[in-house]
Order: sequence, then C-alpha cells, then structure tokens
Amino acid sequence: MIAALLESFAAAARGLPLTLAIWGAGVATGLALGFVIGAVRFFAPAALSWPLAAVVEAVRGVPFLVQCFLLYFGGPFIGIDLTPIVAGWVALSVYGAAYFSEVFRAGFMAVPPGHLEAARMLGIPRNQAVLRIMLPMMALAVLPSLANLAVILIKETAILSIITVPELTFRVQGVGSATFAFAETTLVLALVYWALVEATAVASRHAERRIARALAA
Amino acid sequence: MSAPILSVRALERRVGDVEILRRIDLDVMPGEAIGVIGPSGSGKSSLLRCIAGLDEVSGGAVMVEGRQTRPGDGAVGMVFQQFNLWPHLTARENVALALKLVRRMPAADAAAKADAALARVGLGALGGRKPAALSGGQQQRVAIARTLAMEPRVLLFDEPTAALDPELTTEVLDVIRDLAAAGTTMLVVSHEMGFIARLSTRVVFLDHGVVVQAAPPAALFGAQAEPRVRSFLQTYLDRVAWARDA
Ligand SMILES: Nc1ncnc2c1ncn2[C@@H]1O[C@H](COP(=O)(O)OP(=O)(O)OP(=O)(O)O)[C@@H](O)[C@H]1O
Ligand SMILES: [Mg+2]
Repeated sequence: MIAALLESFAAAARGLPLTLAIWGAGVATGLALGFVIGAVRFFAPAALSWPLAAVVEAVRGVPFLVQCFLLYFGGPFIGIDLTPIVAGWVALSVYGAAYFSEVFRAGFMAVPPGHLEAARMLGIPRNQAVLRIMLPMMALAVLPSLANLAVILIKETAILSIITVPELTFRVQGVGSATFAFAETTLVLALVYWALVEATAVASRHAERRIARALAA
Repeated sequence: MSAPILSVRALERRVGDVEILRRIDLDVMPGEAIGVIGPSGSGKSSLLRCIAGLDEVSGGAVMVEGRQTRPGDGAVGMVFQQFNLWPHLTARENVALALKLVRRMPAADAAAKADAALARVGLGALGGRKPAALSGGQQQRVAIARTLAMEPRVLLFDEPTAALDPELTTEVLDVIRDLAAAGTTMLVVSHEMGFIARLSTRVVFLDHGVVVQAAPPAALFGAQAEPRVRSFLQTYLDRVAWARDA
C-alpha cells in the first residue's frame, strides 16, 4: 500500500510539469481571447456581438469533458487533427475564454458612463479614454474574479487525461491500471490537486496584490 | 452690444413620444452667468447635456461663437453632479490628462498647468492626492480645475453641490462665484436659490421642458415672477422656513 502511494506520488511528479504548462498556456490564451470577446461584446454592434454571445453560451453550457471529446475525436472529421497536447491547450483556452470574457464584459459595464462623458467633454479620443481610463478602472474590479477562475481551471486540466494528454491525472491513473491500487491512486490525485489549488490560490492572491499595487502607484 | 457667445435656437429633444425640451431659445452674452432652476424632471440637466452635445437633439441648434458644437471641441466645458473624477489618477493627473492627450503638452508643462488650475480652486497643495483621499467638496473643485484647464468658452454646471454634505457646498459655490466674477460665461443648474439669486445675471425657469420665464434675478425672484415660478419658489421658501423653524 505504501509502495502504491509512493509510486502514485512519483507519477504525479512526472505529470506535474505538463499540467502546469498546459494550465499556464491555457490561462494565458484564455485571458487574451476572453478579453477580446468581452471587448467585442461590449463595444461592437449587435450583429457582431450576438454570434459571440451564442458561442460563449454554448461553451458554458456544455461540460468540459464533452468539449474535449468533440474537439479531439470530432475534429478530424472537419479537418482539425490535433495532437492530444495541442487539443488540450485549445480546449482549455476556449473554455477559459468563455468564462473570462463574461468577467471582462461585466468589468466594462461597471465603469460609470459619467467617467467617460467627462473624458469626452475634454476632447479625449475614445480609444485613449478606453486605454487610460476604462481599463485601469476595471482592472482592479475584475482581478479577483479572473484569479478565481484561473484557479478553478487547474482542476479542469484533469479532464484532459481522457484525450490521452500525459498530464498528472493520466500518469497517476496509469499506475492505477497497472497495479489495481485504485484507492491509493485516487487518494493521491485528490491530495495533489487540493495542494495545487491552494498553491495557485495563494500565488494568485499574491499576484493580485502586486498588480493592484502597480495600478495604484 | 456684442454678439452672443452661446445661442440656443428652437432646441427640441424628444425621446420616443416624450417631449423633454420644447423649442428652447436662449442667447448668452460673454461674461454672463445664467442660473437654471425648475422642478425635478423639468429638463434642466437635459438642456445642459444638449448644449454640451452629450444628448442628441431632435431639432434646433446650439452655437458657440457662431459654430455648431460637438463634445470635446473645446467650446463647452461641463462639471457634473457626481464629479466623475478618475479614481486611479491623482488630482494633478486628472487635470493634466487632457492637456497631454488633447493639447499634446509635454508632461512637465501639463503638470505645471494642472497645478496652476488646482491653485485657482484653492487646492494647490493637494495635487498628489487620489480622489478617494479628498473630501467631496475638494473632489468637485478638482473637477472644476480639470474643466478650467482646457479653457472652454462656456462652462456648464449641473447641480455641482447636490452630491455634497451641506457644509461642503460653500467651498464649491465660492469657487463658482469667483469664476463668474472673473468674467467666465456659465450656465449653472442648482437648487441653491440664494446662491443662484446672487450669482446670476439672468435666471431661466424651466417647467416641462419649456422656458416659463427668463429674467434678471431681481425680477424673477421678486414681484415680476410668473405665477408658475412664484408657486415653485413658494414651495421652496416653505421648505426653508420649515427647516429654520424645526
Ligand atoms: N433618455 C431618456 N429617456 C426618456 N426620458 C428621459 C431621458 N432622459 C431624461 N428623461 C426625462 O426627461 C425629463 C427631464 O429630465 P432631466 O434630467 O433633464 O430633468 P432635471 O430638470 O434635470 O431634473 P432633476 O432636478 O431631477 O435633476 C424627465 O421627465 C426625465 O424622466
Ligand atoms: Mg438634473
């Protein structure tokens, strides 16, 4: 039993770098894509905003597991043939972007119109008002929600194991299938993800404070 | 007689089938301070916002020195009830931002000009503070300095003290009074009747989007008041008297 636990931890350690890499990459592209979607949905005319709204709703309405299946097993039928790691990264990015975009959109909406009217009266061009006034004002407001979503996404990376991405869960489950020590491997998975969530939560709070301080300076 | 600096001609604003402003005509001479009073919902804010170009007009025209205005063209400056200071910038940065971005001033010149504008509203020492570290009256004075620094031809004040505690209104009203004394052309919406009476060269009384009376304060607040104006002022005086007796 101890041997199975140790072996599981070793497998977790081998999978951890890929889990972190795919999470970091997914969060980064998800944030960028989410920002663009949120901005388009806030600023662009309805004709552009509506289709995006439908996509966001669809992504939020379908389980991440099903989305991964669709992309990885369904993709080849429409010419999207991705390796497991790339498929995992794309899936996580799109999934994250849907949620991030809603946070950004709410952030844009929360900037009081009067603050922009004041800029308009002074002759400040719209794009400068967005850059110098709107974005800094919303940054502080959206930071905690973005950080919270990023932390949630680290748990979602476990699902990538079913499209054979050799990340943490995939490796530890490998030990399970080889040794039939399912109780031990599952326990290790639970402990490792819990620790990861706590660590990223602490890290994101730290980052949040640093960004807040940089913005306030 | 010189030409009006601001001309409002047959100004109309409708939203759906609601008539908010109906054929407003108003000529403002350079250096005039026009007080705008009237009951809640009478269209005072709408009039100022149409002059500023922030609200769309359905008919008529607003001209400053003979030219149709657009928001941000430098003709009209607006001070809002809610100050609308940008919270992430210091008082000095609030004033300097448009100088840098619109006037394309170098940062040092913009900061110097911002400090001069802040000094003019009595805040020379507080340029480094963020809005959150200023009282409401100080925040509104920063907002006034921010508008002044761009040197608009006409200044609009929409209830500049309505969001302030009573003891903070005086410092803001004093600044506005000083600007009027220095010859700034302005329109001021306010429920501070004593202030309006002393400040204004003329007072405009609005009701249901119509100018009921436009006259010097002595006439409008005196025996020549129209019946509708008189009844409005009576309610106001009753409230003041009640407050004094209570
Ligand atoms: N966008 C709009 N759509 C519909 N009605 C509007 C709109 N803006 C203003 N109104 C209406 O127009 C009328 C005039 O509003 P306005 O804000 O100009 O009044 P006001 O005299 O400034 O009132 P207050 O003293 O309460 O500030 C009100 O009846 C208001 O409900
Ligand atoms: Mg109003």
